[in-house]
Amino acid sequence: MLTTRDRRILSAIDVTGSAVLLALTLVLAREVALGGPRAFGFLRVDDLGLVFLLLLVVLTLAVSIYTVGWLKQAVSVGNMKAELLRSYFALVHAFVATMVVTVLADNLGVLWIAMEGTTITSAVLIGYHGHHHGLEAAWKYIIVTTIGISFGLFGTVLIYAAAADVQAGAGAMSWSAIMDIAPRLDPGIVRIGFIFVMVGYGTKAGLAPMHLWLPDAHSQAPTPVSALLSGVLIKCALLGVIRFQTIAAAACGPEFPAGVLLTFGLISVVVATPFILAQHDLKRLLGYHSVEHVGIVALGLGFGGPVGTYGALLHVVNHGITKALAFFAAGTAIARYGSRDMRVIRGLLGVAPIGATLLMLAALSLAGVPPFSIFVSELMVLRAGIGNGHWVAIAIFLTMVVVIFAGLLHHASSMAFGETAAAASREREAWFPLLGMVLLAAIMVLLGLGIPASIDGPLRRATEIIVG
Amino acid sequence: MSAEAVHAIIDDIGSLLLFTMILIVAAGQIYRAIYAVAAQSLLIAVAAAVLATATGNSDLWVIAAITLAVKAIVLPWVLHLVVQRMNVRREVEAVIPIAATLALAVVIVVVSFQLSTSLGPVRQAITGNALPVGIALTLTGVLVMATRKTALTQMVGLFASENGIFFTAMAVTQGMPLIIEIGVILDVILAALVMTILVLRVRSTVDADIADLDRLRG
Repeated sequence: MLTTRDRRILSAIDVTGSAVLLALTLVLAREVALGGPRAFGFLRVDDLGLVFLLLLVVLTLAVSIYTVGWLKQAVSVGNMKAELLRSYFALVHAFVATMVVTVLADNLGVLWIAMEGTTITSAVLIGYHGHHHGLEAAWKYIIVTTIGISFGLFGTVLIYAAAADVQAGAGAMSWSAIMDIAPRLDPGIVRIGFIFVMVGYGTKAGLAPMHLWLPDAHSQAPTPVSALLSGVLIKCALLGVIRFQTIAAAACGPEFPAGVLLTFGLISVVVATPFILAQHDLKRLLGYHSVEHVGIVALGLGFGGPVGTYGALLHVVNHGITKALAFFAAGTAIARYGSRDMRVIRGLLGVAPIGATLLMLAALSLAGVPPFSIFVSELMVLRAGIGNGHWVAIAIFLTMVVVIFAGLLHHASSMAFGETAAAASREREAWFPLLGMVLLAAIMVLLGLGIPASIDGPLRRATEIIVG
Repeated sequence: MSAEAVHAIIDDIGSLLLFTMILIVAAGQIYRAIYAVAAQSLLIAVAAAVLATATGNSDLWVIAAITLAVKAIVLPWVLHLVVQRMNVRREVEAVIPIAATLALAVVIVVVSFQLSTSLGPVRQAITGNALPVGIALTLTGVLVMATRKTALTQMVGLFASENGIFFTAMAVTQGMPLIIEIGVILDVILAALVMTILVLRVRSTVDADIADLDRLRG
């Protein structure tokens, strides 16, 4: 069976694997809820990592389900070659595995190695179609993020040097051990180290002005990979930033990392706005949107306090789910019209009512309309900012969010409504992509109505880990 | 070896490393840049061997051996092979003039030394001038990657930048854990492999050089 090239068998293995991953994570989540953090050598699972791990496995399952139908269509059109499918699935799962290690890493060196691992695996996936654009995006991605991530390694080495100075021994690279001695670290070198790390992991997270690779990579990758890149990968990089933020906050006071995060967050929100308004390419639009939302998470972390941090973590989850849904819906619409230009995609509601509804839902949620989940977390970030009196930052943030709201709704409604373009395929909507999308849409709507205790618990405890 | 002697040797190696970096920045031909980065990796391996004898840390011998084999011999050889196979006519192709990059590199070196003199107690945790030299190498490597259009020169910049990080890491009193260093080297090899594949794929499928890829904008 392992040597098969049959698309259906491969897809079945893919979905089963993702389901097993989800089940294992749920077991792990229960263990952590009952008995606190668990350590396994270089790896350690605490509530902070668990929040990101849950997002990762849920999205992986949704991606696997979506891929079943997507692949059928992609193979029939010739976008994917049937004989390359095995390596495609292997790469996707290697990509997911490196992200799992990133999220679970306790040793900061392992965190870096896994982070670079995600770059290597995903770079191949971004160029998978082998088109001119895809290869260009892949090259830009691997060069820019590798430059960035080497800054991250340098920052890690500096913080390791500071820790080894205080406490000799092998523990000096483990995050939990560094946290124990963090108040005694030399603030000077931690400051320089944190700036290096912020630039490094910030590049991978897509924070402006290091975001230049992001719209290209996220728009040129195969749709399921786009969903993983935008939904989880940039969040894993944020987790790296958060780990170092806690060290820096303990070593040189919370104001310093908060100031750095606020700066990058504001730049990201401001830089993304004009590109969102002027965009015609649907997937690029979503890519720039990720820059904006990563900026909002950084703002939440920067405003700090329990409310801001909780809001930022909740926003990580909300944006991950919503953005994956948006990429799925966009990918389906693009396949139907054979074009990524939003001026061509018209009257989607007429040919694909369910897909169009899901696309509208995702767009409304991304724009921050109540009662969807992103509205809730954006409100928390705002409240934290007002509570701490960051008036200038709040004013800029609100202006940009309002502008983006208008721009996004304009783009989305012009795609959904109106006269259906003649070029559109009138085929019935396929089941499997819809199933994957409905799964995510259900989670998105539920998270907007109220946060269940099983998610609220880890989020609260993770907030305590960060705020201290 | 006395501590002063080790400091002196590490500082000497550091200045040689900066010299190779200047050769890389100034290289007008891709071959020269590849030879310079190979020489630089060789120096890193020597530094690891010196630190291994001085501290008695046997892990550093392993790192010296791996650095010598992988970064001083195999990777430059692979780059060399790719250059021959692609029959590269276009050489380095700088975005800004090479003289300007050299001036920027000088600024980077000065700033790195300035920055690390401002750090007090932690300097003792790192042997000699390894910290400012490491920062300077890393940043200059990034400078090379950012200011060159051709793929292979960008890869040379990446290796140089990685060398800087290694130099600082091994000069930290304790040395980094062996398994981490090996993991980092492995990542560098894999990244180089994937980049090489991409370069060849761009060549074979769209018949273009990486430097010609500029369609994605806005």
